[in-house]
Amino acid sequence: MITLWIDNKQYKAAEGQSILQVALDNGIDIPHLCYHEKLSSYGGCRLCQVEVTKDNRTILTTSCTYPVIDGIIVQTETPRVIKARRFIMELLLSLAPQAPKIKALAKEMGAIGTRFTPNTGDNCIKCGLCVRACEELVGAHAITFTHRGAQRIVEPPFEEAKNCIGCGTCVQICPTGCINIEDRGMERKIDKWKKTLKMKACKRCGRPFISFAEITFIMNKAKNPPSENWFEYCSDCR
Amino acid sequence: MSSAGVYIVKTVPSKEYLAPGHRACPGCGEALAVRLVQKILGRNVIIASATGCMEIISSPFPLSSWEVPWIHVAFENAAAVAGGIEKGLQVLKHKGKLKAKKINVIAMAGDGGTVDIGLQSLSGALERGHNILFVCYDNEAYMNTGVQRSSSTPFGASTTTSPAGMLKVGQRTNKKNMVEIAIAHGIPYVATASPSYPLDLADKVKKAVAIDGPAYLHILSVCPSGWGIPGDITIKMGRLAVQSGVFPLYEVENGKYKITVPIEELAPIELYLKPQKRFRHLQEETIGHIGKDVRQKWQELKKRSERD
Repeated sequence: MITLWIDNKQYKAAEGQSILQVALDNGIDIPHLCYHEKLSSYGGCRLCQVEVTKDNRTILTTSCTYPVIDGIIVQTETPRVIKARRFIMELLLSLAPQAPKIKALAKEMGAIGTRFTPNTGDNCIKCGLCVRACEELVGAHAITFTHRGAQRIVEPPFEEAKNCIGCGTCVQICPTGCINIEDRGMERKIDKWKKTLKMKACKRCGRPFISFAEITFIMNKAKNPPSENWFEYCSDCR
Repeated sequence: MSSAGVYIVKTVPSKEYLAPGHRACPGCGEALAVRLVQKILGRNVIIASATGCMEIISSPFPLSSWEVPWIHVAFENAAAVAGGIEKGLQVLKHKGKLKAKKINVIAMAGDGGTVDIGLQSLSGALERGHNILFVCYDNEAYMNTGVQRSSSTPFGASTTTSPAGMLKVGQRTNKKNMVEIAIAHGIPYVATASPSYPLDLADKVKKAVAIDGPAYLHILSVCPSGWGIPGDITIKMGRLAVQSGVFPLYEVENGKYKITVPIEELAPIELYLKPQKRFRHLQEETIGHIGKDVRQKWQELKKRSERD
């Protein structure tokens, strides 16, 4: 067990946990956007900034990527932290001016408006949740970050989402709602990944419920694959 | 997206806020609904819960299943207490005694605490525009006292106070349309949900708490003991209720109707009614009558959602 101090209180944590995990487990609210409990830490949104004091040196750092060390002192609400977060919120607001979640968070942190030119494209804030979910939760490796610096975007490699199975996990996990999925007849379309998938219809009710690509993916990935008949019927008719 | 894949479910948080070991019947749809709602709401929440099944099963003295601040209130004033909590928090934040972070205030009640006894305080809270979420767990009768009829009991259901017999078909009035009553208050968000469609339920809870102003969520919670069905088909019955059009899943955002689980063709109503003991006595003629009524209401709802 590791002992650390967060906001002048002592907490115990297991080795390998990050400061953010310990704080959230103990009810200390540190705002965050790119952290998900089931994914690896990435530190992309920079919103979970805290002040960490170790060996008499205080630094401002992201709590989701800082593993707990014995005896560190963490402050989550100092003026420096609040100022840094507000500045980051302004930057995020310029990236995603229309996203309701970002707007609400900005309002909560006192960032009214932004000094920077608002982004006119989609509301992507490059948090990398979709990339990590596709890699770690699904294992499809369909999308990745491309380009560098200000041009950095998420897209399928070589502009063609070969591996996309249309499971919709990226749509569900996106904090700004910038990925759209559309079911039209027997096709599923994800505009952002430029992908159109053919859907399989249920034998009994005729409702399209899973893409052919997802069936192939599950059959290849599972150790004990289900029989082919399993995908004949949808979950309602099974 | 109506068909949720296996992978989306992995994005749901794993932390539980309704502790196991509570005294719900096996296959309780209400406990499942509460668990899912709690999971999505997370930790920063204060709950005012009216008397009813959920209070009985989750808080036998001195135990409690609630891992968040929770207050048990009388049958009639869940919404009023939630409104008071919301105003109290506002004052504390104004005085600087509380950090200015978002704390969601939730009122929970069964169908009795919403549709019958709690209606006036709910109506008042919705009208005053408190920033609360009211969640109604509708199991269509007073189940914890032994299945007495409420005004949410559907036509034809046999309960202990509306028994079916030689002369009567059970409940003789139609189910009170509480969702429409909530919509009539002109509040920003009203929705129906079912634990049989968990991701749809999660989306609606997220939306409801994000919206500024009162929100109302009506959740059909299948009750195996009261409805007379085996505990292992709770989820199936919830899905059948939606598929047959008895309980359509839709949301009304600022007056705009949207069907969230679209159904191409309604399943036959017999599939929903036949397994239930409370509808066992119904004749073909009555079933036809109920089916016609359900189809008519579904068409009306479809028209409204197409209009918006």
